[in-house]
Amino acid sequence: MTATMQPQMEAAKAPRRGRRAPGAGVTTRSRGRGLEFGHWWWALPGIALVFAIHYVATGVGGFFAFTNWTGIGAFKVTGWVNFEAIFKDPTKVGALSNTLFLAFGSVLLGNIAGLVIALGLNRVIKTRYVLRTLFFMPVVLSPLATAYIWKYIFDFDGPLNAFLTAIGAGDQAKPWLADPQWAIWTVLVVLVWSSTGFAMVIFMAGLAGVPVEVEEAAAIDGANLWQRFRNVTLPAIRPAVAIATTLGIVQGLRVFDPIMALTGGGPAGATETLATQVYKQAFALGNFGGGAALALVLAAIILFFAVIQQRLTRSNPED
Amino acid sequence: MFRYTKLTLLREIGLWALALLFLAPFYFLVTTALKPANELFTTSALAPPINPDFSNFVAVLSAKGNSNVLMGLVNSVIITAGSILGLVALGSVTGYVISRSTRRWSKAAYYLFLVAIILPGQLGAVPLYMGARSLGLTGSAWGLIILYTGMLLPLSIFLYSNFFRGLGTDYEEAATIDGASKSQIFSKVVFPMMAPATGTVTIFAGLIVWNDFFTSLIFLGGSANQTLPVAMYYYIGSLVSEWNSIFAIVIVSMIPILALFLFAQKRFIQGFSGGLKG
Amino acid sequence: MTQHRRSSRLKAAAFAIPTIAALALTGCSASAGGSDSSGGSKEFSLSFATSNTIESPFQVLAEKYMEANPDVKITFNPQPNDSYDQTLRTQLQAGNASDIVVTSPGSGQGRSILPLAEAGFLEPLDDTAKELLPEGSAGTFGPDGRVFGQATAITVSALVTNEGAVKEAGEFPADFEALEEQCKTLESSGKSLFALAGAAPPNTGLTAMSLAASRVYAQDPKWNDKRAAKEVTFAGSEGWKSALEAVNTLKDAGCFQKGAAGAGFDAITKGLASGTALAGFIPATSWKQLQSATAGSEFGVRALPAEEGSGKDFLYASANYAFSINAASKNKEAAKAFLAWAAEPEQTKAFAEIDGALPVSGLDSYDFEGGAYKNVGDLIKDGKYGPLPNIQWPNSAVYDALATGVQGIITGQKTPDQVLQAMDAAWG
Repeated sequence: MTATMQPQMEAAKAPRRGRRAPGAGVTTRSRGRGLEFGHWWWALPGIALVFAIHYVATGVGGFFAFTNWTGIGAFKVTGWVNFEAIFKDPTKVGALSNTLFLAFGSVLLGNIAGLVIALGLNRVIKTRYVLRTLFFMPVVLSPLATAYIWKYIFDFDGPLNAFLTAIGAGDQAKPWLADPQWAIWTVLVVLVWSSTGFAMVIFMAGLAGVPVEVEEAAAIDGANLWQRFRNVTLPAIRPAVAIATTLGIVQGLRVFDPIMALTGGGPAGATETLATQVYKQAFALGNFGGGAALALVLAAIILFFAVIQQRLTRSNPED
Repeated sequence: MFRYTKLTLLREIGLWALALLFLAPFYFLVTTALKPANELFTTSALAPPINPDFSNFVAVLSAKGNSNVLMGLVNSVIITAGSILGLVALGSVTGYVISRSTRRWSKAAYYLFLVAIILPGQLGAVPLYMGARSLGLTGSAWGLIILYTGMLLPLSIFLYSNFFRGLGTDYEEAATIDGASKSQIFSKVVFPMMAPATGTVTIFAGLIVWNDFFTSLIFLGGSANQTLPVAMYYYIGSLVSEWNSIFAIVIVSMIPILALFLFAQKRFIQGFSGGLKG
Repeated sequence: MTQHRRSSRLKAAAFAIPTIAALALTGCSASAGGSDSSGGSKEFSLSFATSNTIESPFQVLAEKYMEANPDVKITFNPQPNDSYDQTLRTQLQAGNASDIVVTSPGSGQGRSILPLAEAGFLEPLDDTAKELLPEGSAGTFGPDGRVFGQATAITVSALVTNEGAVKEAGEFPADFEALEEQCKTLESSGKSLFALAGAAPPNTGLTAMSLAASRVYAQDPKWNDKRAAKEVTFAGSEGWKSALEAVNTLKDAGCFQKGAAGAGFDAITKGLASGTALAGFIPATSWKQLQSATAGSEFGVRALPAEEGSGKDFLYASANYAFSINAASKNKEAAKAFLAWAAEPEQTKAFAEIDGALPVSGLDSYDFEGGAYKNVGDLIKDGKYGPLPNIQWPNSAVYDALATGVQGIITGQKTPDQVLQAMDAAWG
């Protein structure tokens, strides 16, 4: 799922004492040593718990994707009917494109912003720890709290419209969250706001691993800022990019709380995503079977992008 | 080479400007929470309070019944701490064993955990509730701790095993030669070295559990063990557009987790760099 | 301050959306009921929807019962309104729902009696409950002539008005055309005739249904039956088309407050309490909440004026809530005793007063004069009312299509025809 799980053979051949050998893979780590650390059965409680809570429960729920269960009472097994209904429903196309727009939009913008801030904070800034904490603060807020704050900001009588009026752009004031054109952008703003700090922390961690000597050497050799970034920094933080984007895409594709909290998918479906549709179908509208089917489709989409992400990382020649 | 130059000063000032813009929502959060009710509609949404007071906070902290914030705070701390303990204990051991084992099942187990991260959680909710109910786990903090541990365990194992994969086995080999038992090696040698990973798991899981609302609403529903987000929800449910009171409780709810972050952030960042350098 | 259910619904809905947020992790809800904590037959538990700290009318009534019967112990399981339906369904499914649960008649919601009764989760009730059935609503309280819910009060769904603001603006318009005129006058003075929560589906849906009262149900009270029999469709109904087109008419006439499309329920409360709006499409019981929250103002209930000269003034008045007994309850006797007590005329009257509603029994002799309902008394006495339409709709998706569709009409994303087609599709 992320870069770090890739077997990286050449690097693993020289594990250093007390330090992490880059990307030591499963197959290479203790090859030839004949030593086992820990008892295998230590893993059993964890495996059992995950199996019960994730696989059995989800499996039972997933079974209903093939039924017409409303969420209560009797049901009939209907086969692939729910899936056919999904692919025939034109509103699902809108939900899919919103899902992709928000996932990739927030990953792209959140990571670029996070990277810029991390680069800015990297090296010699005196107040970097204070700043780091400040930029991370939005991540700490619960989705519920984040939604309350931004609902207030985007409210018709809220600060944003008050600001626009104050600078003489009062004609631009609008009910942001209910504007068919703007609603999805407001959601994107909130997603980026609450994820930038997270990307920043990951990138700062990555940057901390770039040896200062290499950078200095490059600088002495006359490399300009962009060249230094392109040839020294970027290769070094590639694993950070991979982990930040993969986690971002997996989370982004099933993002639900902020949308539900801000717009509820409105106005009239303009910010509806697959995840909000899953919830509405399965729980609010008494179509558990249809919602379960959609959840499986969404899981398949997430898996698809997670695998693509893994392939992209693996095929990188610099690795 | 990398000295503090005028350019660096400019960079620092620029970053502060960006940070202030970035934190503008918090400005509204704090100023609005300090506004007395009569200023809420009479002052501009942009303006700070004229007569700031803490009555909203007093009201929040003295709420009773379903929205007893202090009770919720205590329950949230218990449940979050318990879940973190469970996730660190189970996650580290499981992550250790599956990343150290060369047997085929360990790789299978690793993918079992990975795929669990992607599985759609909503599907399992109803069966999970019924199962928990028949085991008598609903309505108690214990049940919720077990549930959160199970729900977040794949993430915890994922973070730990990435960490182990990058960790050489030299120390363990040395300890084995010195005659230490397997559990001694784990608890005395390996676990202390995993502090960064533990910090990461703590923050990650702490954030998710602390902020989670619906799981506790469901599984603790009707009992006296409500968590803070649920108390917050009940409290806010009795307000209509009293943003000052709403924001007061938002601030109250975010302070403990912010404190946890400040406390664990060094470890957290190390944990990431650990996972990433590997 | 007495809190009552519909206004807590109102508040609940204002915050409903954020609430649902955390569903991502688990999706469904339920809470531990008290059915297994029993033992004594004088104990039972009661689940009802609320979203706030103030006591719900159900709780007030139950507390009165405990006062009158000191040996009875009732466990309350209040649930946030927006998660109540799922909670109820999950608990019934898991077998640990409360002994008495508050349900709704019909089939249009998650808490509706018909699907729950058909799934075998509710206990059939006896003649006391049958006697409380509002006229013509038998089919919505249970299948095959049986009754699974005991009606609690008659809720009027029309307009709640700030009477002071109405007087200040002159006179409440007598017909739809006069209403349009008044909208324009009010708009130019910075006020609005209606406060609308355009981002809160329950409110946009109720607005559209109120517009459909005179246009569809006044002339054809059996329209829902015909739709069920597939004799008519929403898209093919002139009345429904004109009702949804009226949403545009109201919008163009400036009847809604500024920013209405994105407003939540707080906009209605704020507008009505401050008098910047004259009326809101909210359940009539909200008058009481508003009145007690706004010192010195008078609130009332009015019907939405019909088109000029049509004489089709019509409103909705029906029992929207009911007590039902959980079929898996171990305390059925205690639960039934409570229901029998609650069915006494004295209690139904007291409950209506607590709730701000009309009593479920004795409506014929009800004194409308001088009360909040004085302006709709004649309509009710003349029988010009029907049940809230969505009670009879087959599932909640139809109402959802209407409610989100109306927001789309206001923002210009949808045409009335598209909304009506979506409703037909959701009917199934």
